[in-house]
Amino acid sequence: MSDDRFEDFLREAAERYHVPPEVPREDMWLAIAEARRHSVPRSRRPGWRSWGIGIAAALAIGVGIGRLSVLFNEDPSVAATPAGEPSEIPVAYRVAASEHLGQVEVFLTGFRADARTGGPVTDAAPDARRLLATTRLLMDSPVANDLVLQDLLEDVELVLIQIAQYDARPGRGEFEFIDESIDQRSVLFRLHSAIDADAAGMPYQGAL
Amino acid sequence: MDDRALIARVLAGDSGAERLLYDQHVDGVYRLAYRMTGDDDLAREYTQETFIRTFERLDQFRGDAALSTWIRAIAGTVVLNGLRKVKRFRQREVELEEGVAHAATARRAEPDLKVKLEQAIEDLPAKYRMVFVMHDVEGYTHEEIGAALGMPVGTSKAQLFRARARLREALSDFAGEWAS
Repeated sequence: MSDDRFEDFLREAAERYHVPPEVPREDMWLAIAEARRHSVPRSRRPGWRSWGIGIAAALAIGVGIGRLSVLFNEDPSVAATPAGEPSEIPVAYRVAASEHLGQVEVFLTGFRADARTGGPVTDAAPDARRLLATTRLLMDSPVANDLVLQDLLEDVELVLIQIAQYDARPGRGEFEFIDESIDQRSVLFRLHSAIDADAAGMPYQGAL
Repeated sequence: MDDRALIARVLAGDSGAERLLYDQHVDGVYRLAYRMTGDDDLAREYTQETFIRTFERLDQFRGDAALSTWIRAIAGTVVLNGLRKVKRFRQREVELEEGVAHAATARRAEPDLKVKLEQAIEDLPAKYRMVFVMHDVEGYTHEEIGAALGMPVGTSKAQLFRARARLREALSDFAGEWAS
């Protein structure tokens, strides 16, 4: 059997793959118009700066609660909890981690979309640095007791470092490098899973 | 009307120009979304999302490439992201309902070339499938695919090669169909 014959066969057979029906132009146009009427203009959406401040504040509260817990905790059974159990992570840290991972997910998705579609990615570096700072705070917090989450944070850190150093000039090829990093380590998928698991009240490890 | 003039009119708030832009590009976007999903509801959803983003970001279009390429790039992102979500959802469904897995196994036990080919295409990784569908099904060039998916032309060619190799392997039971 020759390659040419197979490719001809494949091309012919593939034409019958998911043959599209007539395009429902009017229905879709109405839905688009409706959605745009209710959408918030990009300029009025909260920026990374305000999110970053919110997350930093949540972490600061988490650190405070954590220290107070240590000071006033007289129950030795808490200290005896096995390392690596998600339930061991104080609620404030867990909330901060979940919120942070959500912001990273949105940021990475937006960065990829903008880089691929020729959108403005030159302002991504400052946002990446802000998220990077929070990521490192979390890596040094009790959140790191969850080894799977720690592993995810390390991968997020790597990708954010790359974006913080991103050079958008044509021909640099850096976006492909970042894109591959995100894909090879399934960063977005794991972010989704961690966030979904937290929203469902499940431990991170159950979803990862 | 050329792209530049059309975009200027859309940005000036001309609703007729918005509709014209939509009409010029909607068929290609919907066809690609449908080919990738095989589902009218999903294809509509991804097409709508593509145009919502297109209108929202039109002021950022720099004109380095054709408007059609830019819109395809948005469509590619929307479809690939959407498929990841669908895949995750379906994986969870299968995990929850063992019967679904049994049904799928039963379908695979009836080897019909058309069914087998569809299954083999669907089993391709989303990016390979996208390149395969764009090139072999919708007739895009590697240059167009590279521009739309944000990858070098060589990567597009390599992914098509790998996609075909996987399909060839999956369809090896039917080798006589194309060898004769």
